[in-house]
Amino acid sequence: MSSSPAWVSAWLDAWGISAGLPEWVSASISVAALFLLILVPSATLISYLDRKLSADFQARVGPNRAGPAGLFQPLADLLKLLQKETRREWSWKENLWLIIHTMALYSTLAVIPLGSLALMVDTEMSAFLPFWSALVLALGTMLLGLGQGSVPGWFGGIRVAAQTLAGCFPALIALLCAGMRTGSFRWSVLASSQGFMPWQWTCFSNPFQLIALMVFVMSGLVLLEISPLDGGHSMSDIHGGVASHLYGRRFSLFNFGRFYGFFFWSVITVVLFLGAWNLPYHLVERLKDWGAVRLLGILELLLILTKTFFVMLLVVWVARVSPRSRVDQITDFAWKVLSPFSLVALVGASIWAGWRAFQ
Amino acid sequence: MSWQHQESFRTDLTTWEIGPYHGALPAPMRLRLSLDGEIIAACSVETGFLHRGLEKAFELHSWRASISYADHLDPEVAIFGELALCLGVEEIGEIAVPPRAQRIRVILAELSRISAHLVYMVRMARAVGSETIVHYLLRDREKILDLFELLTGARFSFNFLRFGGVSSDVTDGFIERVLEVCEMIRIRMKEYNDLFTFNHAFLMRTSGVAPLLAKQVKQFGITGPNARASGVDFDVRKTHPYMGYDQLEFKIPVGLGEEGMVGDVHDRFVIRLRELSQSMEILKQLSELLPSGEFLNEKIDLEYEVPSGEAYVRVESSRGLLGCHVVSDGGPRPNRIQFRPPTLGNLMAIPSLVEGVRIEDLPVVLASLDLGIAEADR
Repeated sequence: MSSSPAWVSAWLDAWGISAGLPEWVSASISVAALFLLILVPSATLISYLDRKLSADFQARVGPNRAGPAGLFQPLADLLKLLQKETRREWSWKENLWLIIHTMALYSTLAVIPLGSLALMVDTEMSAFLPFWSALVLALGTMLLGLGQGSVPGWFGGIRVAAQTLAGCFPALIALLCAGMRTGSFRWSVLASSQGFMPWQWTCFSNPFQLIALMVFVMSGLVLLEISPLDGGHSMSDIHGGVASHLYGRRFSLFNFGRFYGFFFWSVITVVLFLGAWNLPYHLVERLKDWGAVRLLGILELLLILTKTFFVMLLVVWVARVSPRSRVDQITDFAWKVLSPFSLVALVGASIWAGWRAFQ
Repeated sequence: MSWQHQESFRTDLTTWEIGPYHGALPAPMRLRLSLDGEIIAACSVETGFLHRGLEKAFELHSWRASISYADHLDPEVAIFGELALCLGVEEIGEIAVPPRAQRIRVILAELSRISAHLVYMVRMARAVGSETIVHYLLRDREKILDLFELLTGARFSFNFLRFGGVSSDVTDGFIERVLEVCEMIRIRMKEYNDLFTFNHAFLMRTSGVAPLLAKQVKQFGITGPNARASGVDFDVRKTHPYMGYDQLEFKIPVGLGEEGMVGDVHDRFVIRLRELSQSMEILKQLSELLPSGEFLNEKIDLEYEVPSGEAYVRVESSRGLLGCHVVSDGGPRPNRIQFRPPTLGNLMAIPSLVEGVRIEDLPVVLASLDLGIAEADR
């Protein structure tokens, strides 16, 4: 287990500052670098693509003023939102929860699997950390909502908690299905058991894994309140729920947090089921022969980001054309449809794995 | 020492006031809700936030100006206010309306009905959070507004009708454009039905939700599409024909409860879709029936004075029966002009309709009633 990915230590070496640096400093630098170099650009790019594509679906033009074809619109939005002040001072409770939220959310950066060379913490428990942080987030959101003392806050908070609990069970079971095929929950093992070509991916290894993929994606939407299953946050009766009290900077941070959840979920979907960052075998060998490790890392990153964006835009596409479901319908769907399917997938995948072991 | 306070978590009834401005409300109004968990236990409605003293304004201005005030009765479907007022004055003054003018009025009224029903669908789509269909419907409604502009010079607030006719004749090619737009909407509507009307998630939100019983329709005096969705077959165009509606062939669709119960939210939605196609049928017939001749009664000039008398007329607006009571004392200004807007009945039905409904469904139920708060508050 290394505390910072290879490319960051190589980078620090090149600057000549790695010697004698405590481990927590290099780990923090790695997290900050991941956040600033990968997450923020991804968020701007995906928000631009989302807005342009949605505009196309909806017979609109979309952003077209800032920069060529509106390319700088996310940047303009970010700058504007960062300038906006928040009107209300927060109580110490809310600030405490803000800190806990931020820690829960971004602690998952330590386990984000963005390529074989970009792994920071690669343990058997890495795949479970996102679930833990989603539950902490839901609990915090619920308590924040109850603490707001307004009806949108109460309903928003409780609905978020209900949805997260409902989504967690099928998502965990689907995760077990993927782990059952590889025999490990290490990102590196999960990834290396798959290949570049689609028929080498976990989701196409047997029909039950395909069910598990479907369940995993949909229960992720329930778990993290992603549109169209975002009833807890966005029903029109509570317009925004817990977030109805947020303005300006805090609102943009809140939205970024939600985007991060969506992004992270799509990344682990790709790693678990959709071939992870695997490039064609010969290409990897060739690059390793040449010693072009950094290029390999960049190519892997590009591949996994492309797949991730594809998954995200697919969800956006469905979200754009569907009405929003009620929260009780969403939780019903998670408990009564997704959960049975996830159990079917688990039983099927384990029988399949046992049968393969006997042969 | 706030952390030493005992925290309580009550599970009895909660009260919640929403409004006058809230995303869940289709128009400015205040609802006082009593909630049992997420179920609405009781509700009271307060309106009047859009009161403009419109009926008083009629009494302060000349007869000619009253038409432009009638536009503002319900800005969304301005033509029905104008039409009701003109019919009332024409009844008092016994003014004959030339056949061509009657047809032009009906064309405008039916186009307005189509436009209003499209906006209704937009509000429903917003209530269930389906943004895409909103843009599609508004794009099509723009075409109708273009037609309004072509005929009357204005997209809203036409001020187009006159006592004894209309202010200008249709231009060449107008009827053809009307038919083109109707055909386009008819074709697209099939696509929208697949995307939205019979979308599973939309059905889950609407079918079986908040059914309006035929008994309640009578109790609250509800008319229009809402009443017809509950199985009450009443349409002023059929029962008390005006402007030559009796010479036109069209059906009055009635709610059948195909996707849930009779008179539920989905029925109210579907009934408007069916009315839309009936309005297109009417427009198709009018394009063939448009007679030549005058578009305005020649006897009515700028110096025309409305004789003393009173009249009560009714028209079928897009929301239901719109009544107009016109009183003239023979003076230069109206003595009293009073409207009976269809929205009032719908407003009165809200408390009994939303009782037992989930709070998440409140925006959908309110949107499904097609509340024109402007005409209710006046």
